Amino acid sequence: MAAELFRRGLRDHGRALLGWCAGAAAYVLFLCAIYPSIGGSADIEEVIRNLPDAVKGFFGLGAVDLTSGSGFVDTELFSIVLPLLAIALGIGSGARILAGEEESGRLELLLAYPLRRRSATLAKGAAVGVELLVLALVMLVALAAAGLVFGLDLPFGHLVGGVLGVGLLGVLHGWLALALGAAVPNRGLAIGVAAAFAGVGYLIGGLFSLASWLEPFRFLSSFWWVGQSPLSSGVTWRHLAVVAAVALALLLAASLLFERRDVETP
Amino acid sequence: MADAAAIATHGLTKRYRADVAALDGLELEVRRGEVFGFLGPNGAGKSTTIRLLLDLIRPTAGTASLLGLDTRRDGVQARRRVGYLPGDLRLADRLTGREQLDSLARLRGTTRPELRDTLVERFGVTLDRPIRELSKGNRQKLGVVQAFMDRPELLILDEPTSGLDPLLQEEFRLLLRETAADGRTVFLSSHSLDEVQHAADRLALIRDGRLLRVDAVAALRAHAVRHVTVTFAEAADSAAFAGIEGVRVESADDRVVRLALPAGAMDAVVKAAARHRIVDLVSAPAQLEEIFLDLYRASSDGR
Repeated sequence: MAAELFRRGLRDHGRALLGWCAGAAAYVLFLCAIYPSIGGSADIEEVIRNLPDAVKGFFGLGAVDLTSGSGFVDTELFSIVLPLLAIALGIGSGARILAGEEESGRLELLLAYPLRRRSATLAKGAAVGVELLVLALVMLVALAAAGLVFGLDLPFGHLVGGVLGVGLLGVLHGWLALALGAAVPNRGLAIGVAAAFAGVGYLIGGLFSLASWLEPFRFLSSFWWVGQSPLSSGVTWRHLAVVAAVALALLLAASLLFERRDVETP
Repeated sequence: MADAAAIATHGLTKRYRADVAALDGLELEVRRGEVFGFLGPNGAGKSTTIRLLLDLIRPTAGTASLLGLDTRRDGVQARRRVGYLPGDLRLADRLTGREQLDSLARLRGTTRPELRDTLVERFGVTLDRPIRELSKGNRQKLGVVQAFMDRPELLILDEPTSGLDPLLQEEFRLLLRETAADGRTVFLSSHSLDEVQHAADRLALIRDGRLLRVDAVAALRAHAVRHVTVTFAEAADSAAFAGIEGVRVESADDRVVRLALPAGAMDAVVKAAARHRIVDLVSAPAQLEEIFLDLYRASSDGR
Protein backbone atom coordinates (compact mmCIF):
# COMPACT_ATOMS: atom_id res chain seq x y z
CA MET A 1 0.00 0.00 0.00
CA ALA A 2 1.31 3.38 -1.01
CA ALA A 3 0.32 4.77 2.40
CA GLU A 4 3.43 3.08 3.74
CA LEU A 5 5.56 5.35 1.56
CA PHE A 6 3.83 8.36 3.16
CA ARG A 7 4.60 7.03 6.63
CA ARG A 8 8.19 6.28 5.73
CA GLY A 9 8.63 9.65 4.04
CA LEU A 10 7.72 11.41 7.27
CA ARG A 11 9.61 9.00 9.49
CA ASP A 12 12.83 9.13 7.52
CA HIS A 13 12.84 12.90 7.75
CA GLY A 14 11.36 13.17 11.25
CA ARG A 15 14.48 14.29 13.03
CA ALA A 16 15.34 16.87 10.37
CA LEU A 17 11.81 18.25 10.49
CA LEU A 18 12.05 18.54 14.26
CA GLY A 19 15.24 20.58 13.87
CA TRP A 20 13.64 22.76 11.23
CA CYS A 21 10.64 23.48 13.47
CA ALA A 22 12.82 24.16 16.51
CA GLY A 23 14.94 26.58 14.48
CA ALA A 24 11.91 28.41 13.09
CA ALA A 25 10.28 28.69 16.53
CA ALA A 26 13.52 29.90 18.12
CA TYR A 27 14.03 32.55 15.47
CA VAL A 28 10.42 33.77 15.79
CA LEU A 29 10.70 33.98 19.58
CA PHE A 30 14.07 35.75 19.40
CA LEU A 31 12.83 38.39 16.96
CA CYS A 32 9.60 39.01 18.80
CA ALA A 33 11.58 39.37 22.02
CA ILE A 34 13.53 42.34 20.60
CA TYR A 35 10.39 44.09 19.45
CA PRO A 36 9.60 45.75 22.79
CA SER A 37 13.00 47.47 22.76
CA ILE A 38 12.55 49.06 19.32
CA GLY A 39 8.79 49.17 18.87
CA GLY A 40 7.51 52.71 18.67
CA SER A 41 11.04 54.03 18.56
CA ALA A 42 11.17 57.26 16.61
CA ASP A 43 14.82 56.60 15.65
CA ILE A 44 13.95 53.56 13.60
CA GLU A 45 11.19 55.39 11.82
CA GLU A 46 13.64 58.16 11.07
CA VAL A 47 16.22 55.72 9.66
CA ILE A 48 13.68 54.09 7.41
CA ARG A 49 12.22 57.37 6.20
CA ASN A 50 15.70 58.37 5.06
CA LEU A 51 16.37 55.18 3.08
CA PRO A 52 16.33 55.50 -0.72
CA ASP A 53 12.96 54.68 -2.25
CA ALA A 54 14.44 51.76 -4.16
CA VAL A 55 15.61 50.08 -0.98
CA LYS A 56 12.28 50.76 0.72
CA GLY A 57 10.45 49.35 -2.27
CA PHE A 58 12.55 46.21 -2.52
CA PHE A 59 12.24 45.32 1.13
CA GLY A 60 8.62 46.42 1.31
CA LEU A 61 9.42 49.03 3.93
CA GLY A 62 7.42 51.83 2.40
CA ALA A 63 4.14 50.02 2.71
CA VAL A 64 4.33 48.99 6.31
CA ASP A 65 4.82 50.74 9.58
CA LEU A 66 7.85 49.06 11.08
CA THR A 67 7.10 50.36 14.53
CA SER A 68 3.82 48.49 14.83
CA GLY A 69 3.91 44.83 15.82
CA SER A 70 2.38 43.80 12.50
CA GLY A 71 4.78 45.88 10.43
CA PHE A 72 7.71 44.60 12.44
CA VAL A 73 6.75 40.95 11.95
CA ASP A 74 6.03 41.52 8.23
CA THR A 75 9.42 43.09 7.65
CA GLU A 76 11.52 40.88 9.85
CA LEU A 77 9.81 37.53 9.27
CA PHE A 78 7.28 37.38 6.45
CA SER A 79 9.29 39.31 3.86
CA ILE A 80 12.05 36.72 3.64
CA VAL A 81 13.00 34.56 6.63
CA LEU A 82 9.85 32.48 7.07
CA PRO A 83 9.25 31.98 3.32
CA LEU A 84 12.87 30.99 2.92
CA LEU A 85 12.63 28.41 5.71
CA ALA A 86 9.50 26.91 4.21
CA ILE A 87 10.85 26.92 0.65
CA ALA A 88 14.15 25.35 1.67
CA LEU A 89 12.35 22.60 3.58
CA GLY A 90 9.96 22.02 0.68
CA ILE A 91 12.62 21.88 -2.03
CA GLY A 92 14.92 19.68 0.06
CA SER A 93 12.16 17.20 0.85
CA GLY A 94 10.57 17.25 -2.60
CA ALA A 95 13.91 16.53 -4.28
CA ARG A 96 15.05 13.96 -1.72
CA ILE A 97 11.91 11.90 -1.46
CA LEU A 98 11.79 10.83 -5.11
CA ALA A 99 14.90 11.73 -7.13
CA GLY A 100 17.15 11.36 -4.08
CA GLU A 101 15.78 7.94 -3.18
CA GLU A 102 16.06 6.88 -6.79
CA GLU A 103 19.67 8.04 -7.06
CA SER A 104 20.56 6.13 -3.92
CA GLY A 105 19.06 2.99 -5.48
CA ARG A 106 16.56 2.49 -2.67
CA LEU A 107 13.51 3.07 -4.85
CA GLU A 108 14.00 0.01 -7.04
CA LEU A 109 12.96 -2.62 -4.49
CA LEU A 110 9.95 -0.56 -3.39
CA LEU A 111 8.68 -0.07 -6.93
CA ALA A 112 9.00 -3.81 -7.60
CA TYR A 113 6.28 -4.22 -4.98
CA PRO A 114 2.64 -4.23 -6.12
CA LEU A 115 2.25 -0.51 -6.24
CA ARG A 116 1.28 2.00 -8.88
CA ARG A 117 3.93 4.64 -9.55
CA ARG A 118 1.20 7.26 -9.52
CA SER A 119 0.14 6.30 -6.00
CA ALA A 120 3.76 6.20 -4.88
CA THR A 121 4.33 9.74 -6.14
CA LEU A 122 1.15 11.05 -4.54
CA ALA A 123 2.02 9.39 -1.23
CA LYS A 124 5.46 10.97 -1.29
CA GLY A 125 3.99 14.34 -2.26
CA ALA A 126 1.57 14.07 0.64
CA ALA A 127 4.49 13.48 3.01
CA VAL A 128 6.14 16.70 1.76
CA GLY A 129 2.84 18.55 2.20
CA VAL A 130 2.41 17.33 5.76
CA GLU A 131 5.97 18.36 6.66
CA LEU A 132 5.14 21.91 5.60
CA LEU A 133 1.83 21.80 7.40
CA VAL A 134 3.68 20.90 10.60
CA LEU A 135 6.24 23.68 10.05
CA ALA A 136 3.47 26.22 9.34
CA LEU A 137 1.58 25.19 12.48
CA VAL A 138 4.74 25.59 14.56
CA MET A 139 5.26 29.05 13.07
CA LEU A 140 1.66 29.95 13.82
CA VAL A 141 1.84 28.81 17.42
CA ALA A 142 5.22 30.49 17.97
CA LEU A 143 4.01 33.78 16.47
CA ALA A 144 0.73 33.76 18.33
CA ALA A 145 2.42 32.96 21.63
CA ALA A 146 5.30 35.40 21.16
CA GLY A 147 2.88 38.06 19.97
CA LEU A 148 0.91 37.76 23.21
CA VAL A 149 3.94 37.58 25.49
CA PHE A 150 5.83 40.50 23.95
CA GLY A 151 2.76 42.61 23.15
CA LEU A 152 3.03 42.73 19.36
CA ASP A 153 -0.73 42.84 19.02
CA LEU A 154 -0.95 40.70 15.89
CA PRO A 155 -4.40 40.30 14.28
CA PHE A 156 -5.08 36.57 14.43
CA GLY A 157 -6.92 36.33 11.10
CA HIS A 158 -4.03 38.00 9.28
CA LEU A 159 -1.57 35.80 11.12
CA VAL A 160 -3.36 32.64 9.99
CA GLY A 161 -3.45 33.92 6.41
CA GLY A 162 0.23 34.86 6.48
CA VAL A 163 1.37 31.52 7.87
CA LEU A 164 -0.88 29.71 5.41
CA GLY A 165 0.75 31.67 2.59
CA VAL A 166 4.22 30.72 3.82
CA GLY A 167 3.20 27.07 4.07
CA LEU A 168 1.76 27.16 0.55
CA LEU A 169 4.98 28.69 -0.77
CA GLY A 170 6.87 25.77 0.73
CA VAL A 171 4.42 23.23 -0.72
CA LEU A 172 4.51 24.90 -4.15
CA HIS A 173 8.30 24.75 -4.37
CA GLY A 174 8.41 21.29 -2.77
CA TRP A 175 6.00 19.83 -5.31
CA LEU A 176 7.87 21.64 -8.07
CA ALA A 177 11.05 19.87 -6.95
CA LEU A 178 9.08 16.59 -6.74
CA ALA A 179 7.78 17.06 -10.29
CA LEU A 180 11.28 17.85 -11.58
CA GLY A 181 12.59 14.70 -9.90
CA ALA A 182 9.68 12.74 -11.36
CA ALA A 183 10.63 13.94 -14.83
CA VAL A 184 14.40 13.51 -14.55
CA PRO A 185 16.13 11.27 -11.99
CA ASN A 186 18.49 13.94 -10.72
CA ARG A 187 18.19 15.36 -7.23
CA GLY A 188 20.67 18.17 -7.84
CA LEU A 189 18.77 19.34 -10.89
CA ALA A 190 15.46 19.30 -8.99
CA ILE A 191 16.95 21.40 -6.20
CA GLY A 192 18.69 23.79 -8.59
CA VAL A 193 15.74 24.54 -10.84
CA ALA A 194 13.26 24.85 -7.98
CA ALA A 195 15.64 27.15 -6.08
CA ALA A 196 16.16 29.28 -9.19
CA PHE A 197 12.39 29.60 -9.53
CA ALA A 198 12.22 30.76 -5.91
CA GLY A 199 15.09 33.21 -6.41
CA VAL A 200 13.60 34.76 -9.52
CA GLY A 201 10.24 34.94 -7.79
CA TYR A 202 11.79 36.79 -4.87
CA LEU A 203 13.59 39.28 -7.11
CA ILE A 204 10.55 40.01 -9.24
CA GLY A 205 8.40 40.28 -6.14
CA GLY A 206 10.76 42.89 -4.72
CA LEU A 207 11.55 44.79 -7.92
CA PHE A 208 8.39 44.96 -9.97
CA SER A 209 7.14 48.03 -8.07
CA LEU A 210 10.39 49.82 -8.96
CA ALA A 211 10.90 48.72 -12.55
CA SER A 212 7.72 49.17 -14.51
CA TRP A 213 8.81 46.77 -17.29
CA LEU A 214 8.74 43.97 -14.71
CA GLU A 215 5.14 44.69 -13.84
CA PRO A 216 3.63 42.18 -16.33
CA PHE A 217 5.96 39.48 -15.03
CA ARG A 218 4.81 39.77 -11.43
CA PHE A 219 2.55 36.78 -12.06
CA LEU A 220 5.71 34.67 -12.26
CA SER A 221 6.62 35.55 -8.70
CA SER A 222 5.39 33.08 -6.12
CA PHE A 223 6.16 35.74 -3.51
CA TRP A 224 3.84 38.24 -5.21
CA TRP A 225 0.99 35.72 -5.11
CA VAL A 226 1.16 35.11 -1.37
CA GLY A 227 2.00 38.74 -0.50
CA GLN A 228 4.90 39.94 1.61
CA SER A 229 3.09 41.96 4.25
CA PRO A 230 0.27 39.67 5.32
CA LEU A 231 -0.08 41.05 8.85
CA SER A 232 -0.37 44.72 7.83
CA SER A 233 -2.41 44.23 4.68
CA GLY A 234 -3.89 40.76 5.06
CA VAL A 235 -3.70 38.14 2.36
CA THR A 236 -5.76 37.89 -0.81
CA TRP A 237 -7.49 34.54 -0.33
CA ARG A 238 -8.14 34.28 -4.04
CA HIS A 239 -4.39 34.49 -4.65
CA LEU A 240 -3.66 31.82 -2.09
CA ALA A 241 -6.19 29.61 -3.85
CA VAL A 242 -4.29 30.14 -7.11
CA VAL A 243 -1.00 29.11 -5.46
CA ALA A 244 -2.69 26.02 -4.02
CA ALA A 245 -4.13 25.14 -7.43
CA VAL A 246 -0.77 25.51 -9.17
CA ALA A 247 0.86 23.38 -6.46
CA LEU A 248 -1.76 20.65 -6.94
CA ALA A 249 -1.26 20.77 -10.69
CA LEU A 250 2.48 20.24 -10.12
CA LEU A 251 1.80 17.27 -7.86
CA LEU A 252 -0.49 15.77 -10.46
CA ALA A 253 2.10 16.40 -13.16
CA ALA A 254 4.70 14.67 -10.96
CA SER A 255 2.55 11.55 -10.67
CA LEU A 256 1.97 11.41 -14.43
CA LEU A 257 5.59 12.11 -15.35
CA PHE A 258 6.93 9.44 -13.04
CA GLU A 259 4.46 6.92 -14.43
CA ARG A 260 5.92 7.29 -17.90
CA ARG A 261 9.66 6.96 -17.58
CA ASP A 262 12.27 4.31 -16.79
CA VAL A 263 13.43 4.04 -13.21
CA GLU A 264 17.20 4.54 -13.04
CA THR A 265 19.63 2.44 -11.08
CA PRO A 266 22.81 4.02 -9.78
CA MET B 1 -4.79 -18.32 -16.11
CA ALA B 2 -3.67 -21.10 -13.80
CA ASP B 3 -1.63 -22.76 -16.54
CA ALA B 4 -0.13 -19.65 -18.10
CA ALA B 5 3.65 -19.64 -18.16
CA ALA B 6 5.39 -18.20 -15.12
CA ILE B 7 7.30 -15.86 -17.42
CA ALA B 8 6.79 -15.35 -21.13
CA THR B 9 8.47 -12.77 -23.32
CA HIS B 10 7.98 -12.09 -27.01
CA GLY B 11 10.47 -10.04 -28.97
CA LEU B 12 11.34 -8.19 -25.78
CA THR B 13 13.76 -5.42 -26.72
CA LYS B 14 15.30 -2.54 -24.85
CA ARG B 15 17.44 0.12 -26.47
CA TYR B 16 18.88 2.89 -24.34
CA ARG B 17 20.44 4.37 -27.45
CA ALA B 18 19.26 3.83 -30.98
CA ASP B 19 22.28 1.79 -32.03
CA VAL B 20 22.80 -0.34 -28.93
CA ALA B 21 20.31 -2.95 -27.79
CA ALA B 22 20.70 -3.85 -24.12
CA LEU B 23 18.24 -6.61 -24.89
CA ASP B 24 17.41 -7.75 -28.40
CA GLY B 25 14.24 -9.68 -29.23
CA LEU B 26 14.20 -11.98 -26.22
CA GLU B 27 11.93 -15.02 -26.57
CA LEU B 28 11.68 -16.85 -23.30
CA GLU B 29 9.24 -19.14 -21.58
CA VAL B 30 9.67 -20.18 -17.97
CA ARG B 31 7.32 -22.93 -16.86
CA ARG B 32 5.47 -23.13 -13.61
CA GLY B 33 7.21 -25.06 -10.87
CA GLU B 34 10.72 -24.98 -12.29
CA VAL B 35 13.92 -23.37 -11.13
CA PHE B 36 15.10 -21.53 -14.20
CA GLY B 37 18.69 -20.36 -14.41
CA PHE B 38 19.38 -17.19 -16.37
CA LEU B 39 23.06 -17.10 -17.00
CA GLY B 40 25.35 -14.64 -18.69
CA PRO B 41 28.37 -12.45 -18.13
CA ASN B 42 28.03 -9.03 -16.53
CA GLY B 43 26.36 -6.58 -18.87
CA ALA B 44 24.72 -9.32 -20.93
CA GLY B 45 21.22 -7.95 -20.34
CA LYS B 46 20.15 -10.04 -17.33
CA SER B 47 19.23 -7.15 -15.08
CA THR B 48 17.67 -5.30 -18.01
CA THR B 49 15.41 -8.31 -18.56
CA ILE B 50 14.45 -8.44 -14.90
CA ARG B 51 13.78 -4.72 -14.73
CA LEU B 52 11.54 -5.01 -17.79
CA LEU B 53 9.65 -7.88 -16.17
CA LEU B 54 9.06 -5.77 -13.07
CA ASP B 55 7.97 -2.75 -15.14
CA LEU B 56 10.77 -0.65 -13.68
CA ILE B 57 11.81 0.15 -17.24
CA ARG B 58 9.73 0.01 -20.41
CA PRO B 59 10.45 -2.08 -23.47
CA THR B 60 11.39 -0.45 -26.78
CA ALA B 61 9.55 -3.32 -28.44
CA GLY B 62 7.95 -6.61 -27.53
CA THR B 63 5.86 -7.80 -24.63
CA ALA B 64 6.30 -9.75 -21.43
CA SER B 65 3.93 -11.43 -19.04
CA LEU B 66 4.24 -12.81 -15.54
CA LEU B 67 1.84 -15.62 -14.58
CA GLY B 68 -0.24 -14.70 -17.61
CA LEU B 69 -0.48 -11.01 -16.67
CA ASP B 70 0.95 -8.39 -19.00
CA THR B 71 3.78 -6.56 -17.25
CA ARG B 72 2.70 -3.18 -18.59
CA ARG B 73 -1.09 -3.35 -18.37
CA ASP B 74 -1.52 -5.57 -15.30
CA GLY B 75 1.83 -4.96 -13.66
CA VAL B 76 0.44 -4.30 -10.20
CA GLN B 77 -1.64 -7.51 -10.14
CA ALA B 78 1.34 -9.43 -11.49
CA ARG B 79 3.77 -8.04 -8.92
CA ARG B 80 1.35 -8.92 -6.12
CA ARG B 81 2.35 -12.54 -6.82
CA VAL B 82 6.06 -11.93 -7.33
CA GLY B 83 8.94 -11.74 -4.87
CA TYR B 84 12.07 -9.88 -6.01
CA LEU B 85 15.62 -9.80 -4.76
CA PRO B 86 17.62 -7.09 -6.57
CA GLY B 87 21.20 -7.72 -7.61
CA ASP B 88 22.30 -4.52 -5.96
CA LEU B 89 20.19 -4.53 -2.82
CA ARG B 90 19.76 -1.12 -1.15
CA LEU B 91 17.75 -1.06 2.03
CA ALA B 92 16.71 1.74 4.36
CA ASP B 93 19.96 2.09 6.31
CA ARG B 94 18.47 3.78 9.32
CA LEU B 95 15.80 1.19 9.97
CA THR B 96 16.45 -2.01 11.85
CA GLY B 97 15.97 -5.26 9.98
CA ARG B 98 12.67 -5.79 11.74
CA GLU B 99 11.41 -2.31 10.88
CA GLN B 100 12.47 -2.78 7.26
CA LEU B 101 10.64 -6.09 6.96
CA ASP B 102 7.54 -4.68 8.68
CA SER B 103 7.58 -1.70 6.36
CA LEU B 104 7.85 -3.88 3.27
CA ALA B 105 5.05 -6.11 4.53
CA ARG B 106 2.82 -3.06 4.90
CA LEU B 107 3.82 -1.92 1.43
CA ARG B 108 2.65 -5.26 0.09
CA GLY B 109 -0.48 -5.06 2.19
CA THR B 110 -0.26 -8.58 3.55
CA THR B 111 1.66 -10.15 6.39
CA ARG B 112 2.50 -13.75 7.15
CA PRO B 113 4.44 -13.37 10.37
CA GLU B 114 4.85 -17.12 10.94
CA LEU B 115 6.44 -17.60 7.50
CA ARG B 116 8.70 -14.61 8.02
CA ASP B 117 9.80 -15.88 11.43
CA THR B 118 10.62 -19.28 9.97
CA LEU B 119 12.84 -17.71 7.32
CA VAL B 120 14.47 -15.38 9.84
CA GLU B 121 15.36 -18.35 12.03
CA ARG B 122 16.48 -20.51 9.14
CA PHE B 123 18.94 -17.94 7.82
CA GLY B 124 19.92 -16.49 11.17
CA VAL B 125 18.85 -12.95 10.25
CA THR B 126 19.82 -10.08 12.53
CA LEU B 127 16.61 -8.15 13.18
CA ASP B 128 17.31 -5.67 15.93
CA ARG B 129 20.25 -3.69 14.65
CA PRO B 130 20.15 -0.78 12.22
CA ILE B 131 20.79 -2.01 8.70
CA ARG B 132 23.74 0.36 8.23
CA GLU B 133 25.61 -1.66 10.88
CA LEU B 134 25.07 -4.97 9.08
CA SER B 135 27.59 -6.76 6.86
CA LYS B 136 26.81 -7.35 3.20
CA GLY B 137 25.89 -10.94 3.93
CA ASN B 138 23.50 -9.98 6.71
CA ARG B 139 21.79 -7.43 4.48
CA GLN B 140 21.50 -10.03 1.75
CA LYS B 141 19.72 -12.33 4.21
CA LEU B 142 17.14 -9.60 4.81
CA GLY B 143 16.74 -9.39 1.05
CA VAL B 144 16.10 -13.12 0.86
CA VAL B 145 13.53 -12.96 3.65
CA GLN B 146 11.61 -10.07 2.07
CA ALA B 147 11.48 -11.86 -1.29
CA PHE B 148 10.14 -15.12 0.16
CA MET B 149 8.09 -13.92 3.12
CA ASP B 150 4.79 -13.52 1.33
CA ARG B 151 5.09 -16.96 -0.27
CA PRO B 152 4.95 -15.54 -3.83
CA GLU B 153 4.13 -17.77 -6.79
CA LEU B 154 7.11 -16.47 -8.72
CA LEU B 155 10.51 -15.47 -7.37
CA ILE B 156 12.81 -13.29 -9.40
CA LEU B 157 16.26 -13.43 -7.89
CA ASP B 158 19.25 -11.48 -9.19
CA GLU B 159 22.58 -12.90 -7.98
CA PRO B 160 20.88 -14.05 -4.78
CA THR B 161 23.72 -15.77 -2.97
CA SER B 162 26.28 -12.99 -3.34
CA GLY B 163 27.67 -12.33 0.12
CA LEU B 164 26.13 -15.43 1.71
CA ASP B 165 28.57 -17.85 3.32
CA PRO B 166 28.79 -21.37 1.83
CA LEU B 167 26.64 -22.94 4.51
CA LEU B 168 23.84 -20.51 3.82
CA GLN B 169 24.25 -20.91 0.07
CA GLU B 170 23.48 -24.58 0.61
CA GLU B 171 20.48 -23.66 2.76
CA PHE B 172 19.39 -21.27 0.04
CA ARG B 173 19.57 -23.97 -2.64
CA LEU B 174 17.41 -26.11 -0.41
CA LEU B 175 14.90 -23.28 -0.16
CA LEU B 176 14.80 -23.05 -3.95
CA ARG B 177 14.15 -26.78 -4.27
CA GLU B 178 11.34 -26.60 -1.72
CA THR B 179 9.85 -23.65 -3.53
CA ALA B 180 9.82 -25.55 -6.83
CA ALA B 181 8.48 -28.70 -5.15
CA ASP B 182 5.68 -26.48 -3.89
CA GLY B 183 4.72 -25.77 -7.52
CA ARG B 184 6.12 -22.26 -7.37
CA THR B 185 8.63 -20.87 -9.84
CA VAL B 186 12.11 -19.48 -9.38
CA PHE B 187 13.85 -17.30 -11.96
CA LEU B 188 17.47 -17.27 -10.94
CA SER B 189 19.76 -14.82 -12.67
CA SER B 190 23.49 -15.04 -12.26
CA HIS B 191 26.85 -14.56 -13.91
CA SER B 192 28.19 -17.47 -11.93
CA LEU B 193 27.55 -20.95 -13.15
CA ASP B 194 28.26 -22.29 -9.71
CA GLU B 195 25.32 -20.38 -8.33
CA VAL B 196 22.82 -21.90 -10.75
CA GLN B 197 24.01 -25.29 -11.98
CA HIS B 198 23.05 -27.23 -8.88
CA ALA B 199 19.82 -25.38 -8.30
CA ALA B 200 18.32 -24.98 -11.76
CA ASP B 201 16.35 -27.44 -13.88
CA ARG B 202 16.83 -25.48 -17.07
CA LEU B 203 19.27 -22.81 -18.10
CA ALA B 204 19.13 -19.93 -20.52
CA LEU B 205 22.37 -18.44 -21.67
CA ILE B 206 22.37 -14.80 -22.62
CA ARG B 207 25.09 -12.60 -24.02
CA ASP B 208 25.20 -9.12 -25.54
CA GLY B 209 21.44 -8.85 -25.10
CA ARG B 210 20.77 -12.01 -27.07
CA LEU B 211 19.58 -15.42 -26.01
CA LEU B 212 22.12 -18.06 -27.05
CA ARG B 213 20.50 -21.23 -25.90
CA VAL B 214 17.92 -22.69 -23.51
CA ASP B 215 18.36 -26.24 -22.36
CA ALA B 216 17.91 -28.59 -19.46
CA VAL B 217 20.96 -28.67 -17.25
CA ALA B 218 21.05 -32.48 -17.60
CA ALA B 219 20.88 -32.25 -21.42
CA LEU B 220 23.73 -29.79 -21.51
CA ARG B 221 25.77 -32.12 -19.42
CA ALA B 222 24.88 -35.08 -21.66
CA HIS B 223 26.23 -33.28 -24.70
CA ALA B 224 29.27 -32.19 -22.88
CA VAL B 225 32.80 -33.31 -23.45
CA ARG B 226 34.14 -35.99 -21.11
CA HIS B 227 37.59 -35.94 -19.69
CA VAL B 228 39.04 -39.40 -19.51
CA THR B 229 42.29 -40.20 -17.77
CA VAL B 230 43.70 -43.67 -18.35
CA THR B 231 46.63 -44.99 -16.34
CA PHE B 232 48.36 -48.01 -17.89
CA ALA B 233 50.51 -50.62 -16.19
CA GLU B 234 53.29 -50.11 -18.72
CA ALA B 235 54.09 -47.48 -21.34
CA ALA B 236 51.37 -47.18 -23.97
CA ASP B 237 51.15 -45.39 -27.27
CA SER B 238 48.66 -42.52 -27.24
CA ALA B 239 48.54 -42.46 -31.04
CA ALA B 240 45.96 -45.24 -30.92
CA PHE B 241 43.48 -42.77 -29.37
CA ALA B 242 44.25 -39.87 -31.62
CA GLY B 243 42.84 -41.83 -34.54
CA ILE B 244 39.33 -42.07 -33.03
CA GLU B 245 36.91 -39.45 -34.31
CA GLY B 246 36.30 -36.49 -31.98
CA VAL B 247 38.98 -37.48 -29.53
CA ARG B 248 41.62 -35.03 -28.52
CA VAL B 249 44.72 -36.10 -26.63
CA GLU B 250 45.27 -33.48 -23.97
CA SER B 251 48.41 -34.92 -22.53
CA ALA B 252 50.33 -38.16 -22.63
CA ASP B 253 53.40 -39.37 -20.84
CA ASP B 254 54.71 -42.90 -20.40
CA ARG B 255 51.74 -44.40 -18.66
CA VAL B 256 49.10 -41.69 -18.18
CA VAL B 257 46.97 -40.46 -21.07
CA ARG B 258 44.47 -37.63 -20.76
CA LEU B 259 41.76 -37.40 -23.37
CA ALA B 260 38.82 -35.13 -24.12
CA LEU B 261 36.04 -36.78 -26.08
CA PRO B 262 32.34 -36.51 -26.92
CA ALA B 263 29.98 -38.98 -25.27
CA GLY B 264 29.62 -40.89 -28.55
CA ALA B 265 33.32 -41.80 -28.67
CA MET B 266 33.42 -43.40 -25.25
CA ASP B 267 32.90 -46.96 -26.46
CA ALA B 268 35.73 -46.81 -29.00
CA VAL B 269 38.08 -45.24 -26.47
CA VAL B 270 37.45 -47.86 -23.82
CA LYS B 271 37.94 -50.66 -26.34
CA ALA B 272 41.18 -49.13 -27.59
CA ALA B 273 42.44 -48.75 -24.04
CA ALA B 274 41.52 -52.32 -23.17
CA ARG B 275 44.23 -53.65 -25.47
CA HIS B 276 46.71 -52.71 -22.74
CA ARG B 277 46.71 -53.51 -19.06
CA ILE B 278 44.88 -50.73 -17.27
CA VAL B 279 45.61 -49.62 -13.70
CA ASP B 280 42.99 -46.90 -13.50
CA LEU B 281 40.39 -45.19 -15.67
CA VAL B 282 38.60 -41.99 -14.65
CA SER B 283 35.87 -40.32 -16.66
CA ALA B 284 34.68 -36.88 -15.59
CA PRO B 285 32.04 -34.72 -17.22
CA ALA B 286 33.16 -31.27 -18.25
CA GLN B 287 32.14 -28.42 -16.02
CA LEU B 288 29.29 -26.43 -17.48
CA GLU B 289 31.70 -23.55 -17.55
CA GLU B 290 33.46 -25.26 -20.45
CA ILE B 291 30.22 -25.94 -22.25
CA PHE B 292 29.35 -22.31 -22.09
CA LEU B 293 32.76 -21.15 -23.08
CA ASP B 294 32.35 -23.30 -26.17
CA LEU B 295 28.93 -21.78 -26.82
CA TYR B 296 30.27 -18.29 -26.33
CA ARG B 297 33.04 -18.98 -28.78
CA ALA B 298 30.63 -20.47 -31.27
CA SER B 299 28.31 -17.47 -31.05
CA SER B 300 31.15 -14.98 -31.37
CA ASP B 301 32.51 -16.81 -34.41
CA GLY B 302 29.10 -16.84 -36.02
CA ARG B 303 28.96 -13.06 -36.29
